[in-house]
Amino acid sequence: MTTILTTINPKALKVDALASFLQLLESVRGKKSLILDRTLSAPLSHIARFSVLQEHGVDNIFWLDDGPQKDTVQRNIVYLIRGDIKNARIVCDQVKRIIQTSDVDYDFNVFLYPRRMLSVEKTFEEEGVLGDVTISEWNLGFIPLEEDVFSIELPNSGFKDMYLYGLPTTVSFAALSLNALQKQYGVYPRIIGKGNNAKKLCDLLLRMRQESQASSEQAEWAKGDTTAFEQLVIIERSTDMVTPLMTQLTYEGLIDEVFGINNSQAEIPSAIFTASNPKLPPNAPSSSSVISTAPITDRKTRKIVLDSNDGLFANLRDLNFAVVGTTLNKAARKLNEEYEERHQAKTVSQIKEFVGKLGGLQAEHQSLRLHTNLAEEIMNRTQTEFFNRALEVQQNLVASGLDTSTLNQTIEELIARGVAIDVVLRLLAVECLSSGGMKEKDLAQFKRLILNEYGYEHILTLSILQKLDLIYARGKGYSQFQFSNLRKTLRLIVDDVNEQAPDDIAYVYSGYAPLSIRLVQMVIQKRALGTRISSLGSGWRGADDILRNINGEHFDELQKGEERALRARAMLSAKKEKKTVVIFFLGGVTFTEIAALRFIAKQETERRNILILTTGIIDGKEIIKTAMDQVPSVGPIDV
Amino acid sequence: MVPNPTLGWERLQDVFYRKRTEYSMMWNDEVDLSEFIVAGAPYGGAIALVRDTSRPMSYRGPESRQKMILIYSNAGQLICNIPWDKGSIRGVGWSNNEQLLIVGEDGNVRLYHDFQGAFTQFSLGKEAEDHGVAECRFWGTGFVARLSNNRFVVISRYEEPRPRLLAEISTTAVELHGWNIAPPSYTLSRHVEVFLGVNNTINVIDSMESQDKRLQEGPFTHVAVSSNGALLVLYTSYGKIYVISSDFSKKYSEYDTGTLDSPSQVMWCANDCVAVAWENEIRLVGPGGGALSFYYDSRIALIPEADGIRIISNEKCEFLSKVPDIVVDLFRIGSTAPSAILLDAVEQLEFKSPKADDNIQLIRSNLNEAVDACVKAASYEPEQYWQKRLLKAALLGKSVLELYSSDEFVEMCETLRVLNAVRYYDVGILITYEEFIRLTPERLIDRLISRQRYLLALRLSDYLQLPTDKIYIRWSCAKVKASPDDDNTICKTIVNKLKAVPGVSYEDIARTAYDEGRSKLATLLLNYEPRAGRQVPLLLDMEEDEIALIKAVESGDPDLIYYVLLHLKGKYSLAQFFRLVNDKPVASAVVEQLARNEGPELLKDFYYQDDRRADSALVIYREALLLDDVHDRMDKLKLGTKIYQDSKDPYPDAKAMEDHAKLYEHQLGYEKDYKTAFVGLTVAETIKKLIKIGQGSKASKMKGEFKVPDKMFIFLKEGTYPVPKKN
Repeated sequence: MTTILTTINPKALKVDALASFLQLLESVRGKKSLILDRTLSAPLSHIARFSVLQEHGVDNIFWLDDGPQKDTVQRNIVYLIRGDIKNARIVCDQVKRIIQTSDVDYDFNVFLYPRRMLSVEKTFEEEGVLGDVTISEWNLGFIPLEEDVFSIELPNSGFKDMYLYGLPTTVSFAALSLNALQKQYGVYPRIIGKGNNAKKLCDLLLRMRQESQASSEQAEWAKGDTTAFEQLVIIERSTDMVTPLMTQLTYEGLIDEVFGINNSQAEIPSAIFTASNPKLPPNAPSSSSVISTAPITDRKTRKIVLDSNDGLFANLRDLNFAVVGTTLNKAARKLNEEYEERHQAKTVSQIKEFVGKLGGLQAEHQSLRLHTNLAEEIMNRTQTEFFNRALEVQQNLVASGLDTSTLNQTIEELIARGVAIDVVLRLLAVECLSSGGMKEKDLAQFKRLILNEYGYEHILTLSILQKLDLIYARGKGYSQFQFSNLRKTLRLIVDDVNEQAPDDIAYVYSGYAPLSIRLVQMVIQKRALGTRISSLGSGWRGADDILRNINGEHFDELQKGEERALRARAMLSAKKEKKTVVIFFLGGVTFTEIAALRFIAKQETERRNILILTTGIIDGKEIIKTAMDQVPSVGPIDV
Repeated sequence: MVPNPTLGWERLQDVFYRKRTEYSMMWNDEVDLSEFIVAGAPYGGAIALVRDTSRPMSYRGPESRQKMILIYSNAGQLICNIPWDKGSIRGVGWSNNEQLLIVGEDGNVRLYHDFQGAFTQFSLGKEAEDHGVAECRFWGTGFVARLSNNRFVVISRYEEPRPRLLAEISTTAVELHGWNIAPPSYTLSRHVEVFLGVNNTINVIDSMESQDKRLQEGPFTHVAVSSNGALLVLYTSYGKIYVISSDFSKKYSEYDTGTLDSPSQVMWCANDCVAVAWENEIRLVGPGGGALSFYYDSRIALIPEADGIRIISNEKCEFLSKVPDIVVDLFRIGSTAPSAILLDAVEQLEFKSPKADDNIQLIRSNLNEAVDACVKAASYEPEQYWQKRLLKAALLGKSVLELYSSDEFVEMCETLRVLNAVRYYDVGILITYEEFIRLTPERLIDRLISRQRYLLALRLSDYLQLPTDKIYIRWSCAKVKASPDDDNTICKTIVNKLKAVPGVSYEDIARTAYDEGRSKLATLLLNYEPRAGRQVPLLLDMEEDEIALIKAVESGDPDLIYYVLLHLKGKYSLAQFFRLVNDKPVASAVVEQLARNEGPELLKDFYYQDDRRADSALVIYREALLLDDVHDRMDKLKLGTKIYQDSKDPYPDAKAMEDHAKLYEHQLGYEKDYKTAFVGLTVAETIKKLIKIGQGSKASKMKGEFKVPDKMFIFLKEGTYPVPKKN
């Protein structure tokens, strides 16, 4: 039995995750072929590089949907799959086929993520392969993407399963992971949140805790009279669908919008790297940058890693794009000055000192060049007419939502002129959500336009968007969502936003403060929201008439530790120990929302730490893709 | 007068060994060890006796012909006997959890979970069935069996026993001798390895390969790995002993026993010295070639333990181990170690002699260390009298110290109380302090539970602040099995008793009742199970299908829901199955997902029975898009449209679907008329193309039919979008 850890250590989490995975790998002796569920490559890549896997006997990797290639597969076959019946069936088919068609004595191992499952074993049993495979479990839980952001990395952030299919998997996953954290770092003294699935999650957490208290499972809980947490705030995605559908305007958000970021990596066209270099002194030592020497072909893309190991990116990522240029300039000037210092270096030791810094400077130089080029490319794309008009419509919709008819005309024009379909669908959804649905006539007109312009197969897309309650006629939506009632009370629109030196989270959308983050502020930072909110009681107390306008139940539960623990906690809080507030996004969070939360975290740094947890990173494109994925991709039609 | 601890110390080179009689055997006179194979459970656990068929035995009447496996405590108290009706026994061993394993010649293995005879059985696979098992070697979590064709089969986990063949022996001209195993935790590969005497050398065999170590000194009849896995002892047929490192890189010592008699056992006494046992002699061989012999009147059995050797004879159970240095310092005659002086001070204090203080002053600077040594030494001392003396000395010492953390002292007192309780002859678990730490208190409690010592287990758990729910559960299970009372009475008794542990799980108890054929009692008990999820599997067994489904949904665990649904889907007709889930939204969603994975037909059936026409029309629409031929598509689209329109609540998209078919129709017409490709274009693209090939009137017709707005049409025609009118 371990004792409670008082600070959350992302590095240790990663190291532990890797160690337990390698131990699992080592349980299979000798060289092996790894057959990987595509949706698990993201979480796996966060903890282990391929070279590490190679060192531990992984000879080659196949995707589960391709299956192992006979001539290269090792005698030891390791399946790493998400535990569901579909995957189990695929494994069964492959195992049976291999056994039938080969006389090599293969050794089949199945690592189930995140745990062993009765349903999978039952499937193996029904298919008659239970005796041929060794089943183990791979339990990963939260993966630290950054020091302050951990994710479960569910495919599609668990959004589709939860909202389109109504499956309990997302909530169950979240509960398991949150509970594991609780076992390690102490209970969440308070669980507060909003959303029907969030409520289910909270109930599940409370029950898990209660059940483990009386039984032998207690041994799994770290012993200690303290907790690292102040509270757990659960915000469900459906409480605020407006925010993720809007075009993100922070630097990282825009990179995501333009190029897409997956697993902290973005695929950038190689051509960008050849764009003009930032203005650096011509006599600056040229770095042996990988970027500038790589071969350039137009279609080619290169993966770049975007995380806070890159100091410049850490500074830029959460800024509104409008100020990225000046920040880059400043960085260039500073870098220049540092290079210039070499002229001041007279003595041997000074030169030595400069040379010691050189490696760092070169890395900075390289990063500066990358981000300058990236920013220029984004600038090019954001200065197009389509982008600006779409943005204008979006900002107007959230700001007033009054005169939609002119805005609708603009959307019509964008459709007719063939702007990308996801842009249109996002605008329509934002309109429906922010103004309580469209006029029936307008909706019918838009549907027809979309089918005419983009093809009839989008009947499927539109029906899904309707099912998700993202596009609906006035009065025909299923949700209780009333954006217009929230605009004022929650100060969602801030007119004089200062993007240079922001004083409110609204800077992230140049004037719109994300509703989801306002909800978080309602719990942990009431004073920032004006007298109406700051006069409310603790938690949600007194806020019923505001929360009524947002989807789903709200809840506020206290988790009692043992009596001793409570007393100890009282003593500790008297000592003003800084605790961590966990903000959990059920159904995904956007980069922009993370930026806004980081802004709050900076303001709160004296009082508390803020840890952002999520089922995954999501954005408007991903949500629209959920709907568009229903359209089968087909080849040419025979006539 | 309690004898001085040094009594019975024997010196081997510069190290002391002690052999202590722990219990006098109480077994019935029937037991004569010379007729039995003896296997002892690790950590001082129970002893299993199985008749050794290779030896002559005295005739005791016809009933003794039935084979029995006898399980005794270390004090020779019969715990239980297990009848054995299968053929010849080729292996008897124990797991770390004190589960007995019996390996039959036919390759069948029985794993006994408790001392009540409940077992699971598994096979060692075809190779073992074909050739038969010759002998076995066990370690804490698995075993290796040598087959009569000299292949080795390994079972590495008992939770999921999967027989795996090890590599074949590489040498061709083979003469095989003794063998043994290195447990996985001590090998480089973390998988079990077999050391096999082949010709004059040793082969190391694992699942991948068999490696010849190219020794010359064989043949080796015995091999043994030391308790930390670092050393290997090899015993040759001509009576010589070699001690080498387990990676074969270094030879540490050799010793000639001077006899050609083959020993019955060769093993390590922890990591300190090698013990060789013949019929009635045990010889300890030290690292420097020194030796120490103990003689017996009758046959003995040696059981290796983590820190010594358990010796079972007809008369007694003994424990042989090295005397730890710390203990030597304390008790050696004339010792001037601080701990010894501290111990002396207690005695002086009892005589009210001022010398007590002199002693303390003498070791003042080393007092901390002396206290620690006394506490530590108490753990090695099995005699309660000396435990108390030592702890008293520690107490005196720490009372003088200004700052001393008493945690260790308190913990030691607690642990010793526990150890003394389980070592008591009536319980007979001969566990040392070191072993207790390795075994963990929880698993010691488990051992008490399986001996049905519920009260003692409960007391110790309370004392050690361990969870007690398991004890209550196992007690209740035993109650259910044994009690002749009626269902209600038993249930009431159990519920009353289990009130003491809030949240305790009733599932196991209910299952026991069910397995005993008392379904009513099972239902009664299951109602008390607080976790919905736990109830599910038993409910399914009891055919309470709908309740099982409701409980699974309640648990919020998708796995359970899938599990129940898979179970039910196989059991009921499709219509019954759908009806069962209809009014349960979560279960419905899961069934929908199952259907989605299985293909459109099941999905359509599902939507049909649930009257979800719009959804089934969309499935058809999707199917249509997957068809390659445009005519097939049109047919399918019409079918879909029909379903939409039949709906009582007509779905607005029905029209769109119809339009799609219409678009294809037009496009086919244009293709025929203008000999250029149209099919697959959108309405907008079609209009644009018509304009491009000069068919403006056709384009206008399309515009009207598909309600294309004016501005869009102008854009398609002229390439510029009209500026909106200002009002």
